[in-house]
Amino acid sequence: MKRGCWERAVRCGCYAAGFWVVSGAVAVVGFAVRQGAPHVTPKLLFGGVSAREALFGGAPVFDGLWPAVVGTFYLVAGAVALAAPLGLATGIYLAEFSRGRLKEVLTVFFDVLAGVPSVVVGLFGFSVSLLLHKMVSPRLGPCLLVAAFSLMILVLPYVIRATQSALEGVPQEVRITALSLGADPVQNLAWVLIPHSFRGIASGLLLAVGRCAEDTAVILLTGVVVTAGVPRSLLDPFEALPFYIYYVSTQYASPEELERGFGAALILLGVSVSLFAVAYAVRRAVGHWALYRA
Amino acid sequence: MDPVIKIRVEELTFRYGTRTVLRDVNAVFFEGALTAVVGPSGRGKSTFLMALNRLWEEVPGADARGRVWVRLDGNERLVSDPSFPVTELRRRVAMVFQVPNPLPMSIFKNVAFPLKVMGLRDKAVAAEVVEDALRRAFLWDEVKDRLREDARLLSGGQQQRLCIARALAAQPDVLLLDEPTSSLDARAAGIIEELLLTLKGRCTLVVVSHYLEQVERLADQVYEVADETLQLVS
Repeated sequence: MKRGCWERAVRCGCYAAGFWVVSGAVAVVGFAVRQGAPHVTPKLLFGGVSAREALFGGAPVFDGLWPAVVGTFYLVAGAVALAAPLGLATGIYLAEFSRGRLKEVLTVFFDVLAGVPSVVVGLFGFSVSLLLHKMVSPRLGPCLLVAAFSLMILVLPYVIRATQSALEGVPQEVRITALSLGADPVQNLAWVLIPHSFRGIASGLLLAVGRCAEDTAVILLTGVVVTAGVPRSLLDPFEALPFYIYYVSTQYASPEELERGFGAALILLGVSVSLFAVAYAVRRAVGHWALYRA
Repeated sequence: MDPVIKIRVEELTFRYGTRTVLRDVNAVFFEGALTAVVGPSGRGKSTFLMALNRLWEEVPGADARGRVWVRLDGNERLVSDPSFPVTELRRRVAMVFQVPNPLPMSIFKNVAFPLKVMGLRDKAVAAEVVEDALRRAFLWDEVKDRLREDARLLSGGQQQRLCIARALAAQPDVLLLDEPTSSLDARAAGIIEELLLTLKGRCTLVVVSHYLEQVERLADQVYEVADETLQLVS
């Protein structure tokens, strides 16, 4: 009887916790949709320019959020493109080749790096841009490239640790299957271990995508500005949605301006969801391809 | 004519950490014969097989000392010789495990895997080898229409025959089998036994087993693991 009570209590507690988390998420998203949806119009995105002209005609958008949407996409793509190869390689090194003391030290090091506040990473990126400005060319300064580089440092630990733990989770009998058939360690890695742990590795990249899309502190110090237009090169300053939301919510002068902020929040949510959807689709397709291609 | 010695083991000692599993093992295995290794569980039968293809090197904490020679292309070769690539050794001394271990890919790709490892790119040749290996493993008729399906969807007995086919695809000289029927029902085990009898002669077989009737039906020579060593029983 007593046992039954305990079980029920634990189960109720777990249900309550789950319900609490889900309703919190629903409340946040619902609030953003309620406040933002009426204001997400072509005018909010493209200002006075028509959508067709802005998308295909190259017409500059001055009072819309389109440049910030594009800037966010570029930023995420750039940061993940930098972080993925480096993070995968480091994760593979830690899981498969590094041994003993060095492995312990590096693992702790990347855990510490994962805990570094993003504003500190932003300051580091800012210092890098100052250094480039002084040492390389006075034309260089905070820009898309420096911001993407700094975001890479921010998300690198997630990619590394996800890759490492996915590979280390491959069971011993799978690990020796290909080796027993005469595969060398690199073949085993490429054809068995990585496909086998692909889902875990992809989850690390998904986390990185989300983190890059939402982070404000890093880009604040490394090149984001209020008005820049669609970036024309990696060395230009850029606009980004999270920064716009931060800027508007702290500096708004009228209720209309705040409404634009809510609209921007909803658009950022949409951008994040579509990035996630693309990443999921890629994960599924690659998993299927690795399994069945002849 | 005297039978040719295919594998010669001298003074093999095997440890896991500080625990000695096998001590000063001496044994010979004849070409084309089926040799059974019997004995109670946990006494080092599987470990002994891993010493023959150096697979123990992939097991953390394992350590083997001693000498193992395998006769390949008419020459005896020391398996621990640094000039003898371990990848070549494992292709020619193939292994089938106790629990079927198909890779997470299609049936065809599983059997063709050793060919891919060897760098064979010709798809027509691969298809031929795969068909031949599946026929030799008594599996072709059951899977010929579903070669693109995930191998993990096969039944336990089929998976084990798939693993035997995969081991045969690389044309090994020696096939090591670690209790190949212990996870299967009687019917599936019977098929595998029949299959092993057809492989005798073309391939040197070393089978770990604890089913004595099975051993009597199949084996030309029997070793028993006792007191940390291998003793010739018959």
